[in-house]
Amino acid sequence: MTETAVRVEQLGAGYGGEPVLEHVSFAAQAGQSVCVLGPNGGGKTTLFRVLLGELVPTAGVIELSGRPAYMAQTERTRLDFPVTALDVAVMGTLAAGRWWLPPSRSERDAAAIALERVGLARVAGVRFGELSGGQRQRTLLARALVQDAPVLLLDEPLSGVDPASARLIVGVFDELLAEGRALLVASHDVESARSFHRVLCLNRHQVAFGTPAETLNRATLQATYGHELIVLDDAGGTRAVTIQHHEHGH
Amino acid sequence: MPSPFDLADLPFLREALLELALLAVTGGVLGAWIVLRRLAFFSHAAGSATFPGLVAADASGVSPTIAGIAVALGYAGGVQRTSRVAGASARDHAEGTALLLVAALATGVILASDVFESGAVVERLLFGTLLGLDTADLVLSAVVATLAAAGALALGRTWSAVGFDPDGARALGLPAARADLLLLLLVAVAAVAAIPAVGALLVTAIYVLPPAAARMLTGSIRGLVACALGVALAEGVVGLYLAYWLDVPAGPPVAVLGALVCLVLAAVRGRRPA
Repeated sequence: MTETAVRVEQLGAGYGGEPVLEHVSFAAQAGQSVCVLGPNGGGKTTLFRVLLGELVPTAGVIELSGRPAYMAQTERTRLDFPVTALDVAVMGTLAAGRWWLPPSRSERDAAAIALERVGLARVAGVRFGELSGGQRQRTLLARALVQDAPVLLLDEPLSGVDPASARLIVGVFDELLAEGRALLVASHDVESARSFHRVLCLNRHQVAFGTPAETLNRATLQATYGHELIVLDDAGGTRAVTIQHHEHGH
Repeated sequence: MPSPFDLADLPFLREALLELALLAVTGGVLGAWIVLRRLAFFSHAAGSATFPGLVAADASGVSPTIAGIAVALGYAGGVQRTSRVAGASARDHAEGTALLLVAALATGVILASDVFESGAVVERLLFGTLLGLDTADLVLSAVVATLAAAGALALGRTWSAVGFDPDGARALGLPAARADLLLLLLVAVAAVAAIPAVGALLVTAIYVLPPAAARMLTGSIRGLVACALGVALAEGVVGLYLAYWLDVPAGPPVAVLGALVCLVLAAVRGRRPA
């Protein structure tokens, strides 16, 4: 029997005023990937903040098989901060709760292994700000890998990444799924959502949850994105493209 | 031109030298985090914001150190509270710092105009003195240096994670808000400790200029701490000698020297080919 990694029932969340997210119910089994689609302000980041325990839900129930790891967007990091790729990966060990102690030898080894896994062993000593965009994204993935979490929350992990890094990151995702971890990936890329096991569509409430075949249709996507969605009809069928504004907060 | 050995031979200069050495330790350890966490304005403001407390203490006979620490701690707590109310996305505390600084300075000016009869006391508070240092000042500086070192050892990883990526740090389950509050409190107390030597207006000469110069010389956090400590110590010794020679308070020469070092380093870096 497959273990449930994440289960959410009738979740509601907000920041004191109007609810930002309402009536969200979904589940992911170990080894499953869920693509979280939605417009800016649709509630993707809020959902992640609730799952991480940073934000107390206003309604509903959450069950997690363990503390999730989070991969932030690189544009939220400070490129002038004097830390190397290895330093950033080592930060992942802080999730173990021993923040007042210096990193142990085994923690530094775990960080080095994580960097090797994302193909960055050779640049471990390079400053984070001097890495390419794709390398920075892989470094943040290494920081998440170090946490050895059963559930990973990934905020637009392929946004602005070069094709080689994207292939490497997707390869690591496949390995993580094979290891029985669950992945929740916030994305604007409707087309890439077709490769996930499940798709969760949010627009301040849950529009749909199901397999790609059940959810990635014109009616659901228009209910999710409204006028931010452009539907293209070409020889190969129908393609949906979203307009990205790169705003954050909800 | 006086002998440099007077710094070691004359008791009041020896005490001033020891005071500046202790402040240099804090300037290296804590100053690195002040620069990395963009708290330069806060460190300046924390010193200046103690002004009303020092005025009131002088008038009422309360220890100026205790009054200064009380005001500085209250100021630090108020800044963090104001920043949190202003928005969780705020990466620095600039707006809250400015708001409460204006309030503190206005209160201090009103108090000073009614309380002080001599401008000399105000000048000593604002620019420091070599002659007025006593054992209590040295003890406070030693305690602050110890607290700064202990704080950096215990919280350095958290400060680093939060400074690099606040969202990612919170997701790691780190006590980010409490660690930030402790950093602000440490900086506030450190600012009070520096007031007797360099004055409330020039605490940045110890806590910001040396690490700002060190930032241009090194690319790691450990290197920044070590280099800032060395620069603060060197600028303190030379500044003290200049103050003795020119018969002026210690704060201005240390500050001018620190600013010159930063300007020269920036000019050299600017000339270096990319």
